[in-house]
Amino acid sequence: MTDPSSEFAIELSGLRKTYRRGKKVTVAVDGLDLAVRRGEVFGLLGPNGAGKTTTVEVCEGLTVPDSGTVRVLGREWRAGRHDELRDRIGVCLQETKFHEKATVREIVQLFAACYVRGRTVDDVLQVVSLQEKAAARESTLSGGQRQRLAVATALVGEPELLFLDEPTTGLDPQSRRQLWDVVRSFKAGGGTVVLTTHYMDEAQQLCDRIAIVDHGKVIALGTPAELITSLGAEHFVEIDVDAFDGRLAAADLARLPDVQKCEIAGARAVLTVGSVHTVVPVLLRTLADRGVELRGLATRHATLEDVFVHLTGRHLREDSR
Amino acid sequence: MMRWRVVKAVATTTFREFWRSPDAVFWTYGFPLMMAVVLGFSFQPAPPPPVPVAVVAGARAGDLAASLRRNDRLLVEVLDAASADTALARGRVALVVRQGEVGVPIVRSDPTRAEADVARLLVEKALAPPSQYPAPVIASEVEDRPGARYIDFLIPGLVGLNLLGAGMWGIGFNLVQLRIQKLLRRLFVTPMRHGEFLFGFLLGRGILVLPEAFAIVLFGHLLWGVPFRGSPFAFLLLVGAGGLAFTGLGCLLASRVRSIEAIAGLMNLFQLPMWLLGGTFFGNERLEGVVRWAAEAMPLTHLNRALRDVILGPAGVVDVLIPATGLLGFAAVCFAVALRMFRWT
Repeated sequence: MTDPSSEFAIELSGLRKTYRRGKKVTVAVDGLDLAVRRGEVFGLLGPNGAGKTTTVEVCEGLTVPDSGTVRVLGREWRAGRHDELRDRIGVCLQETKFHEKATVREIVQLFAACYVRGRTVDDVLQVVSLQEKAAARESTLSGGQRQRLAVATALVGEPELLFLDEPTTGLDPQSRRQLWDVVRSFKAGGGTVVLTTHYMDEAQQLCDRIAIVDHGKVIALGTPAELITSLGAEHFVEIDVDAFDGRLAAADLARLPDVQKCEIAGARAVLTVGSVHTVVPVLLRTLADRGVELRGLATRHATLEDVFVHLTGRHLREDSR
Repeated sequence: MMRWRVVKAVATTTFREFWRSPDAVFWTYGFPLMMAVVLGFSFQPAPPPPVPVAVVAGARAGDLAASLRRNDRLLVEVLDAASADTALARGRVALVVRQGEVGVPIVRSDPTRAEADVARLLVEKALAPPSQYPAPVIASEVEDRPGARYIDFLIPGLVGLNLLGAGMWGIGFNLVQLRIQKLLRRLFVTPMRHGEFLFGFLLGRGILVLPEAFAIVLFGHLLWGVPFRGSPFAFLLLVGAGGLAFTGLGCLLASRVRSIEAIAGLMNLFQLPMWLLGGTFFGNERLEGVVRWAAEAMPLTHLNRALRDVILGPAGVVDVLIPATGLLGFAAVCFAVALRMFRWT
């Protein structure tokens, strides 16, 4: 069943998983197809309840799918013993509470004992910058340190494939960047990472490729640049004026050169544009000609959030409905 | 094949987590010792308390009370007729004595109450002139030999009760806690095998059960002279088998539960009947009907009986083989079902 020559670390085909509570059936994953290449950082991006965690748990062997095929590092979970496959993956779950009276070193030692091969505890603690906290009890750690400890337990078996399920949720910016460095260093060593997140900047910073997941399906797949380019324009110009009140309509602004789209809400207009430097001078002239007073102007790059809004009409951080 | 390094890592982590929680150590091991001491002192051999009786106030009531007070086994008070009736009705006195019209005292009591008979005999003895004492037809001896007192009965039961508590709460409750904090789920995605985890966990939590059992016996011996007449190996076998039986039951109850409330309810459902009927605080051989059957079905009943045979009698390993095998069989069934049903997530 092992196929080490495969270029894919994970292959999912027609994956479906439903949960039943009484008569209510929730479709968590609905015919999802996905392939993660070896050596890449692959992001699953989507709002809460999109099916990211269920997809990852199926890949980790924690959840059995209703249907579909799952191949991880060339093997299927259902085929015989799982120990060999578990020896080759590292997992950082969305939420784990370790032994609170144990020290950082003792917790990593416990996980290290489970693996056939692996790195030394000191080595791993250095990778996650916790060597100074080695003798500290888990209960004394900050949120960021706890999360790095969770990553340390995932790295100690020297895995080929690392699963990180929303590893930076609730962390401060500095702790997030420290974890990003850990991910980059793991990738630099040839490892494959599957990362779920609902932070678009995190996905954009870390991921080689991203699958945007919504309602249990992949609705877009590509590199961050490809996904943003798929919008048709890479920049936004946002203006605040005194009032449009008939002097200027969205259609007038949309007709300006290099403007793809314009939406007006109250006294604010958002223009999707190809290049800022060609649009802004024309826009300012048009406002002046129509007697509209400009009160604010901002430009920004398109983000994955814009891609998600474009595809679904919703924001990533909105609660699932 | 179980890997010892994994078992050792789990056992060490589990033991440390427990040992570094002083409250857990106290309630698991300190509390049973404290209970043994408190119960031991509470049930020290002592003469029974005096029996309260009331004398109805009236002519010659003072003489009557004085005669009764000559017997120090009686606690006499003089009350008016209404108060005496109330005291009898409330059970504050065992009987009421009043001076009869023809000079013979009249006693009134509720014949359905056991203490009334004792009070009546004591009153008769106090009022009878010494010349009318019947010649003794029996000679009495006081039973206070080590091995036959209540404290001797209690100590082996407390060993059994401690094994029950440490096994069920120490194992079952903590397994559910690990499940709730998703640590079991995290361990499940490592190459650790189910058996390695459970064995290591039992070892880490149960390592103190044996010294605890010896400590209770030692306390009983040093404080009250409770004897140890049987084989230490038989004791060791019973503690091991009993510990495994109750940890197995704890594992089984915790194998699928996902909330503290549910495991607490399940534990109480199984533990409370054993507390009451398992033969720890009183012998359950005189129970009848369904209750007797229930008591006989409890592993604690058989463990306590066998422990008493070893501690108070001269039982050896061969004598306790049947109960020990039964307990080990019970443990094996519990572990087998628990492993099959065990929910990691």
